Amino acid sequence: MNILEIQNLQVSVMNKPILRGLDLRLGEGEIHAIMGPNGSGKSTLANILVGRGDYQITAGTIRYQGEDLIVRSPEERAMAGVFLAFQNPVEIPGVSNARLLKEAFNAHRRYGHLPEMDAMTFRTHLQERAKHLGLSDDWLLRPINVGFSGGEKKRNELLQMLVLEPNLAILDEIDSGLDIDALTDVANGINALRNNLRSMLLITHYPRLLEQVHPDKVHVLIGGRIVMTGGMDLAGRLEEQGYGWLSEVAA
Amino acid sequence: MNTPVTLYRDLFTELEKSLPGYDSLPLRGLRQEGMQHFMDKGFPSQRLENWKYTPVKAISQKIYHINNHACQGLDPSDLLPYLIAPLGVYRLVFVNGWFSQTLSDLHDLPDGVRVESMAKLVKEAPDMLEPYLKNKKSGSDQGFTHLNDALWSDGAYIHLSPGTRLERPLHLFFLTATSKKSMMTLPRNIVVAGADSHAWIVESFASLGHFPHMTNAHSTIVLHDHAHVHHLLHLGENHSAQHVGTVESTQKGDSRLDSQLFSFGGERTRQEIHVQLAGEQAECSLDGLFIGNGRQHMDFHTSIHHTHANTRSQQLYKGILAGHAHGVFNGIITVPPHVHHTQSNQLSTNLLLSDTAEIDTKPQLEINSDAVQCSHGATVGSLDPEALFYLQSRGLDASTARNLLIQGFAEELLQRITPKLVQNWIEKHFNKGEYHHES
Repeated sequence: MNILEIQNLQVSVMNKPILRGLDLRLGEGEIHAIMGPNGSGKSTLANILVGRGDYQITAGTIRYQGEDLIVRSPEERAMAGVFLAFQNPVEIPGVSNARLLKEAFNAHRRYGHLPEMDAMTFRTHLQERAKHLGLSDDWLLRPINVGFSGGEKKRNELLQMLVLEPNLAILDEIDSGLDIDALTDVANGINALRNNLRSMLLITHYPRLLEQVHPDKVHVLIGGRIVMTGGMDLAGRLEEQGYGWLSEVAA
Repeated sequence: MNTPVTLYRDLFTELEKSLPGYDSLPLRGLRQEGMQHFMDKGFPSQRLENWKYTPVKAISQKIYHINNHACQGLDPSDLLPYLIAPLGVYRLVFVNGWFSQTLSDLHDLPDGVRVESMAKLVKEAPDMLEPYLKNKKSGSDQGFTHLNDALWSDGAYIHLSPGTRLERPLHLFFLTATSKKSMMTLPRNIVVAGADSHAWIVESFASLGHFPHMTNAHSTIVLHDHAHVHHLLHLGENHSAQHVGTVESTQKGDSRLDSQLFSFGGERTRQEIHVQLAGEQAECSLDGLFIGNGRQHMDFHTSIHHTHANTRSQQLYKGILAGHAHGVFNGIITVPPHVHHTQSNQLSTNLLLSDTAEIDTKPQLEINSDAVQCSHGATVGSLDPEALFYLQSRGLDASTARNLLIQGFAEELLQRITPKLVQNWIEKHFNKGEYHHES
């Protein structure tokens, strides 16, 4: 079964069309990469999936687990298991990572009709995951993303993903601005979460991450449409040749 | 013609003999002097710069009754919702302006620490109080203070001998049991912290019931060399209450004052805090957090005078305003000529939760010396939509996300509260805050 089915999605920002009839099917347990030049609509797609305002959906459908996703609020999507690792996560002074994670985790539990986890158990749950990403305990007490380096922000997004265990994770340029070691940590985090039910969309410019994650498919997004779909060989070719040769396909 | 001013004069004439200190000529003289100043100047006018944004008429037009005796019949259990903790705190309770022995708890005060009702002490040792009751300020902006000079009823006198420490916080609790007959209470407190002494003092104000009432409070704090006083003010009266209060503090060398103000209540609340850093290496920190909603008016005025070299001050005032609330912050720092090496930082940051909430913020510096370090600033903003969306995208509903951001805004100030007991108590009040309801 497909966890995500997007058909003919057309989206504008301030009346300017960004996505122009995008089609995408993502199966359960699959990881797909979306590559494409700047301005092709990759981040718009990511934001649309998590219900950000400021976008007008002018046509098309998005079905998540067989149901219409567009009508749902951002928090409903989150609780139903949709997660976006933001490209530029916002800084929130005064609110600790632990506080956000506790609120979010328990919101998910309530949604699933599960009892809230008590503070001590949750703390252990959190610390295990932080350790997995090489994050110290006092990290959890720091305010969300405040003063974090680019790489730290990315790890923090991954930590949230590890704690919330989404069904569909969209990772928007999770690899940008990372050095090789950090990239490996990020790839390990992704691989740790991989299972035959959880699906991921990796939005990226570079094949480096893909070499460690091995996506099932690679899509090329140009001008608001998927213009080509292939495997890892396609990612390699894009690295060598850029997107120029695809312009004709896109036109 | 009967104006509020002449009515208070008549009230003074009627009550004078029953007010504490009447038997002492100097104290009687101070009250009369206060009334004379009040008669001459009246209530402050909004034409005065410091009162420009304060709706003085709305505060002063109503004539309040003044109670000259304590209210009986309150049970200790009535107080429970207002207490920091039933145990682990020294407590002085004042009901309708007067000390209540039965509701207070001063067990195990350490030697060298004297805590008394002003009304009681004034009978026993008027000479001791006189220097602290003398109001050195007089002017057209001092009307409410002069009224307190004339009509103060009771309050706390706290004296820490050199080297003494109050390990537990001392809670001065002022409760007005409201009724249809609107009442003004005029508390007067004096804190004298001897050299090397240390204390936590919490002054809090609350109402029982929802009828209008007025509080006109005055506290004097004197810190001798190396003394350290934490003074936390919690203003939490009902939404028909008017509150005007002043804290005057004088600090000697190497002393430290940590003043923290938390203002959540009242219809109109105005608090002034004035500090003189009158000894080298004296240091003060003034924090404030105020929350207004509905049509609440929240009004704060601070002044810090660096009269001596090598003194330091820092200030952080944060306002959270929803509904049609109006906030005012006016802070002034002065450094006279030839006073060198002072440091002062002042910041006013404000969060507006509605289009109809308003803030007037004015940080001011009057620096007449060259060799000083100072900074000041003010910001006004609303909740960051990016941050709201981020939290929602993690599964938090809009109202939880909003509350978390508001708490985040206040967190810095809440975190600075010590001891833990008092911090928990303020956090409880904060979390009950009415910013939760958008209006």
